[in-house]
Amino acid sequence: MRGLLPFLGSRLLRALVALWLVSTVVFVVMRLSGDPVPLLLPPDAPRSEIFRVRAELGLDRPLIVQYAVFLGNALRGDFGRSIHFREPAVRVVAGYLPATVELGLTAFALAALVALPVGVVSAVRRNSLVDQVSMTIALIGQAAPTFFIGILFILVVSLRLGWLPTSGRGDWRNLVLPALTLGAFAMASIARLTRSAMLEVLRADFIRTARAKGVAETLVIVKHALKNAAVPIVTITGLQFGTLLGGAVVTETVFAWPGIGRLAIQSIYNRDYPVVQCTVFVSAVLFIVINLCIDVFYGLLDPRVRTS
Amino acid sequence: MAHITRRELLQGAAALGVAGAVVPRSAQAQTTQKRELVVAQGGDISKFDPHFSTSSNDIRVSFNLFDNLISRRPDGKLHPGLATEWKLAPSTTWTFKLRQGVKWHNGDPFSSADVKYSLERTWDPNVKTRVNTVLTTIDRIEAPDAATVIMHTKKPDPLLAARLAFYAGQIVPKKYLEAVGGDQFNAKPVGTGPVRFVSWTKDDRIVLEANPDYWGGRIDVDRVIIRAIPDTAPRIAALLKGEVDLITQLPPDHGERVAGNATTRVVGALYAGLYVLAVNSKRPPLDNPLVKQALALGVDRELIVKELWRGRGIVPSGPIAKGDNHFDSSLPPLAYNPAQARERLKKAGYKGEEVVIETTVGYTANDKPMSEAIVAMWRDIGVNAKVEVLEYSVRAQKNRDKTFKGLWWSDPTSTLGDPDGMMWRLLGPGGPQDYWRHARWDELGEAARFSVDEKFREGAYREMTKIFLEHLPWIPIIQPYEDYGVQKYVEWTPDPLQQLEIRRFNFKFRRA
Repeated sequence: MRGLLPFLGSRLLRALVALWLVSTVVFVVMRLSGDPVPLLLPPDAPRSEIFRVRAELGLDRPLIVQYAVFLGNALRGDFGRSIHFREPAVRVVAGYLPATVELGLTAFALAALVALPVGVVSAVRRNSLVDQVSMTIALIGQAAPTFFIGILFILVVSLRLGWLPTSGRGDWRNLVLPALTLGAFAMASIARLTRSAMLEVLRADFIRTARAKGVAETLVIVKHALKNAAVPIVTITGLQFGTLLGGAVVTETVFAWPGIGRLAIQSIYNRDYPVVQCTVFVSAVLFIVINLCIDVFYGLLDPRVRTS
Repeated sequence: MAHITRRELLQGAAALGVAGAVVPRSAQAQTTQKRELVVAQGGDISKFDPHFSTSSNDIRVSFNLFDNLISRRPDGKLHPGLATEWKLAPSTTWTFKLRQGVKWHNGDPFSSADVKYSLERTWDPNVKTRVNTVLTTIDRIEAPDAATVIMHTKKPDPLLAARLAFYAGQIVPKKYLEAVGGDQFNAKPVGTGPVRFVSWTKDDRIVLEANPDYWGGRIDVDRVIIRAIPDTAPRIAALLKGEVDLITQLPPDHGERVAGNATTRVVGALYAGLYVLAVNSKRPPLDNPLVKQALALGVDRELIVKELWRGRGIVPSGPIAKGDNHFDSSLPPLAYNPAQARERLKKAGYKGEEVVIETTVGYTANDKPMSEAIVAMWRDIGVNAKVEVLEYSVRAQKNRDKTFKGLWWSDPTSTLGDPDGMMWRLLGPGGPQDYWRHARWDELGEAARFSVDEKFREGAYREMTKIFLEHLPWIPIIQPYEDYGVQKYVEWTPDPLQQLEIRRFNFKFRRA
């Protein structure tokens, strides 16, 4: 474990800088994108009313003052009150988070559980029918937009076949289609990458040596090849989590899933700055934490990563 | 056992599947034993507190939790609500007799103190409601006894009853609200309406249960669930699959799917308002009435209704929506006459100045497709027209700053069922669409606002319509239907103002 602490320390520092940058960019972009007040009030609200509400929300203060207040509060975990819901933004986001975590983890697990074996089998049985069919499906999974896959699932699996509910959150049956839709892209990417990483490793000398020594083929593939192919696979799997968070915006809208992706979209439409900022912050924390875990994990997998 | 091939077996199964899925289902679908109504709308609510929102998603819920003194029913007329009768005498004093024996959902008795408190709350600067401008014609409110409320208006207000029938007029519980405060009231609302609050899972569902003691009679179901399904296709899929009983915001081009399905149908209400192209009449060439007349004559509205709205709309005849007070049924629908349009352009000395429609995409239904069709029609009559697309918030900003370049979509809602609440509210001096002034028109609008003589008002609005049709501060395009998809066992009449009331008089399930 030599070198793990400084390695962790530098990663943590980078994570904090990334969080600060993300919050600042969101703060600026949201304020560039328009004023929430006309959207809050009836279209015929008098100008005096618009100014009153602007002052009430603190939007009449100079941008730099608003930013200082925002940063100060954010450090204490306070993202302000939601303009739309009129309650603390943190509480709003916390209410939506469990649905996204449930959907995200299921999609992620589904993607990894399907994609890894498929990738390995495709590499081992290169150019076989299994390889060609699974890689074609993977290509479609990567190429088709999420909303298209989602609506296709609803029309075919729910409406035509009547197997699963069309939308909403409930028991496990409600989870299947959104998780498949959300996981489709990650699944395809991981499968394709696993295949190519495995192909590369399978050509290496030590694999030939292992086989020459008479090690059983399953052992060669799992212990020798897969372990060595793991670093790029783990990296891409971690990055895919970010794609999943992005995909959640569309998937949650299509399947009426009450998660933070949908909350983010609606809050952007409503110019609900505090909620957007809090949502982005929480997503960034999730992404950074997952990738930090993965960094540590492949620090463990491959000692060279720690020292380089 | 007879020998059956695999193919025959599959064919048999398929036939059975079809029979099993379609025939009995459509027969059953005409009636139901369900005790739960599931509604899906295009978005979740933001608040329960009726004084803090005017959005259609919110009022679909709040108009069922709460009651008004007076209620505007689907027939467009005003009916008794929490007030059983009201009279105006003299011209600024309104006396309301309240319904006796009404209880709040928490068991407290309803009284005149609640009415006084609710209405005063709307304009109280400390409460900061979102409906603080609606009832400002009221000077003061008295509650001489538990069953009487007297309102004094600052000037004669012919539309006070109509104002009380829509948002801001919803009555909230004084005792409960004062005890728990606004936030708690919004989290656990208590009203007098036909349903009581049970739970709310944000962006997923609101669960409401029937109020057994409702003064208007217990509704036909035990529970009402309101789900939020933002995308149109999944919302329709949920209806077709039978997961929900009623969906809102059914676009006209999806109507055929719902109508063509064995178990569902489309119900609609003519929208209480118009879709118009509002005009910046200050900018040349739109400052010339002849150019605006040419633009109005150059739009083939029949074609737009037929092609873009699948027939789900009517061609307006002027600035007053059909169904409103003083709608003149003798006026013909606005004409399409390209030859006359060209003539007017020539007479106006039009020299090819650019005419821009600034449209959003989906802010109002069909806004962009209609803009494209209209621009093509205007090019045919020789107008140098073009479409520019705006993002919602930019539109809101331009609306506020009054900086539209030419024409833009507006869907004025006639919340009071009267031209005062629509054209005068928007186009009048200082109104949000004040880009054009005409001394006589302004004089008539002002006089009609404060007159309780309906005959005088009728004459005033006739003359205002005439002036309007010459100067066209709006170019009215369509009065569409607001469509809903429902299961065939749902017997329900929608309101023209989008509030989706579930009451004994307009809703029941057809039972076997």
